[in-house]
Amino acid sequence: LSVQDGLAADFRAMTKTLYDLNKGTNIVRGGPLKEMVIENFDEEQIWQQLELQNNAVLDFFKKSIARDAEDEDLCLLSDQEEDGSDEETSSDKELEDTIMEAETEQKSVYTKDKDKTKAKEKQSKLRESIMQKYSDEDSDIDFDIEALEQQAKTAKETTLKKKGRKSVVDDKFFKLAEMEAFLEHAEKEDKEEEEDDINYFEDIISDDEEEDSEEAKVKPIKSSRDVTYKDFFDSVDDDDDDGDDLVANDAEEDQEEEADSAIEEQNEESMSEFEDMDEMVEHMRIKEASKKVTFSLPNDSETEDVTEVQLEKSIDPSEIKSSFEKRQEKMSKKIKSLEEVLLEEKPWQLKGEVTAQKRPENSLLEETVLFDHAVRMAPVITEETTFQLEDIIKQRILDEAWDDVVPKEKPKEEAFEYKKRITLDHEKSKLSLAEIYEQEYMKLHQQKTEEEENPEHKEIQEMMDSLFQKLDALCNFHFTPKPPVPEVKIVSNLPAISVEEVAPVAVSDAALLAPEEIKEKNKAGDVKTDAEKTPTDKKRELRRKKLRKRMRIREKEKRQKLLEKMKPEQGTKLSKKAAAAKLKRLTKEGKASLLKDEGKDKALKSSQAFFSQLQDQVRMQIKDASKLKKKQKKEKALSVHKLKL
Amino acid sequence: QVGKGELRKIPVPANRYTPLKENWMKIFTPIVEHLQLQIRFNLKTRNVEIKTCQETKDLSALTKAADFVKAFILGFQVEDALALIRLDDLFLESFEVTDVKPLKGDHLSRAIGRIAGKGGKTKFTIENVTRTRIVLADTKIHILGSFQNIKMARTAICNLILGSPPSKVYGSIRAVASRAAERF
Repeated sequence: LSVQDGLAADFRAMTKTLYDLNKGTNIVRGGPLKEMVIENFDEEQIWQQLELQNNAVLDFFKKSIARDAEDEDLCLLSDQEEDGSDEETSSDKELEDTIMEAETEQKSVYTKDKDKTKAKEKQSKLRESIMQKYSDEDSDIDFDIEALEQQAKTAKETTLKKKGRKSVVDDKFFKLAEMEAFLEHAEKEDKEEEEDDINYFEDIISDDEEEDSEEAKVKPIKSSRDVTYKDFFDSVDDDDDDGDDLVANDAEEDQEEEADSAIEEQNEESMSEFEDMDEMVEHMRIKEASKKVTFSLPNDSETEDVTEVQLEKSIDPSEIKSSFEKRQEKMSKKIKSLEEVLLEEKPWQLKGEVTAQKRPENSLLEETVLFDHAVRMAPVITEETTFQLEDIIKQRILDEAWDDVVPKEKPKEEAFEYKKRITLDHEKSKLSLAEIYEQEYMKLHQQKTEEEENPEHKEIQEMMDSLFQKLDALCNFHFTPKPPVPEVKIVSNLPAISVEEVAPVAVSDAALLAPEEIKEKNKAGDVKTDAEKTPTDKKRELRRKKLRKRMRIREKEKRQKLLEKMKPEQGTKLSKKAAAAKLKRLTKEGKASLLKDEGKDKALKSSQAFFSQLQDQVRMQIKDASKLKKKQKKEKALSVHKLKL
Repeated sequence: QVGKGELRKIPVPANRYTPLKENWMKIFTPIVEHLQLQIRFNLKTRNVEIKTCQETKDLSALTKAADFVKAFILGFQVEDALALIRLDDLFLESFEVTDVKPLKGDHLSRAIGRIAGKGGKTKFTIENVTRTRIVLADTKIHILGSFQNIKMARTAICNLILGSPPSKVYGSIRAVASRAAERF
């Protein structure tokens, strides 16, 4: 070997150009020299320059790798490698070579473990460097990442499953699993001590986003001004997922979100590349969404909305919608759903009166029905109530406060006492009205004074009497009898015979006879007054009366006849009544006629009497004659009348 | 104090002329001495005339005196009529038997007989229980007493006119009277 000066000079020039180029890009900060100086420098000096640069680069790499150390999901694949290798234009060929070597070494390594290995760190560093260089074309890398993720979905799932442990504390914003992972990572970081400077302008990945690795990856590239809600929080749809949902759904959501976020930043050049991927994602999502629909509860409108929203999202990936538009969409969807509900047939609960036939079997058991209790509920007898009762009973027994029935006494007032109160004086009052009122007035005014004195006196008197009597009985050997009470003796001033009479005074025959014996009852039974009698009754009675009378008369006649026959002398002697009755009968029949007593037989005592009598007789005759004449005239008149006709 | 001179005239029917003459002393004494009024009997017009004079102190005295004389003329005793002067709240009520129920002939006589009772028994009983005075003048009935008592007596008499037996009436008035007595 010999020194080939020409080649050496060429090499030097090349290194210089490369170095300058590298410096020009200004990716790597640090490094004291701005440009490489070749002129009049030995190889040793050039090497030292390079070394300086390398130190700076190394530092930079360390930092970036530290940042990417969290990236668990990095995996090296041949495609990536190839892409990476294609766009490789680094001046530091050795570094590149080492990077490439590392990559090739870990080509098929899946870095899904939580435990970070140095290799992974390196890999992440490398990736970081690659990403750093091609910041303009982030999108491509992102999508590449997505592709990677897609292919390694199943592996992800396992890790996610581990991560996606649901705990009680989990919330919309907080997941216990995430927190634990972050804490472990932090501990490791402390051990390793990677960072000296803190890059204030870098986006720090929060705990919430640990799950969303793509987003975590995306974030550092985003500037703080471009941060949106989605970067920090899961979309509303995600949080409605219950435990029923598969964890895969989460993964799908993540993918979906990442796709969305990626979409926003994408360049239109590379649309076609990942459209296919998106379609796959969509397909997956639709499947998941449909699955979601089956899992969600029928009455949970929110989840329905969620699914619908997701569907919508998946359906229209191409349009970029503003937040307002999205809100509008949501509202319209909600309105639609509400309208549908209203138009639909109402559930049986809202249908008013529902019989058993109109609702499903035993559906009322699941309903809580409210109704008014019209009747007071019977008291629930528990041990406590019985104890209370027993306590009351015991206390009552001790107090001897019985609830015995008190017999009611009818207030009996003797008639005597009642009459005493107001005596009915049937005699004329001896006092005049004025005096009566006077007395009354005096009574009213005097009563007050009298009442006060007397009762007390009486009481005292009584008490003393009783006391003295008792004392006497106790101490006196001589029995002192009670003071003589004036006896009232009733003497009836009646003759002895009336008092001593034994015979009962009050005995009447009426009592001995039955009423039917006194008066015969009717056949009908009841006695009727004249007003109550019907015409038939009256006729009946009349008939009876007539019958009786007839019988009596017949008997009488019979007796008469008998009498005449037996004792003809007695029979002729008619009573005055009978004679008068006979005469009457005869005159009626026309057999006998009564003569008028004209008084001719009487002796005329005075002449006046005689002449008056004579006059009277003549007058009578004339009257009779005139009557006859009148009669004849009448008859004549009649005949004439007849003739004229 | 009283005005110039007020005059009251009370006509006297013929049947009361003699009793008036007999009780004249007892009539005019309280009027003149206690009420300070002037009284005279006008023979021509057959009126008792009462007049106020200068000594009269009380305005209502004239009315009282007039009522007193009137009561006597109706048929009350002087001592009973005197209560009108002594007590303020005594009244005089008159009504006819036919006012209560239209009775004619024998029925009317029987009603009057029921009111009077045998020897005046029923009438006296009512008077004693209700603390009133009753005058039965053919078909006219006059009751003298306080308002409540007049009411009681009137009810009793009306019941008798309407036909209830005296024993029943006794029971009812006794009950009413006892209640009234309890109240006071």
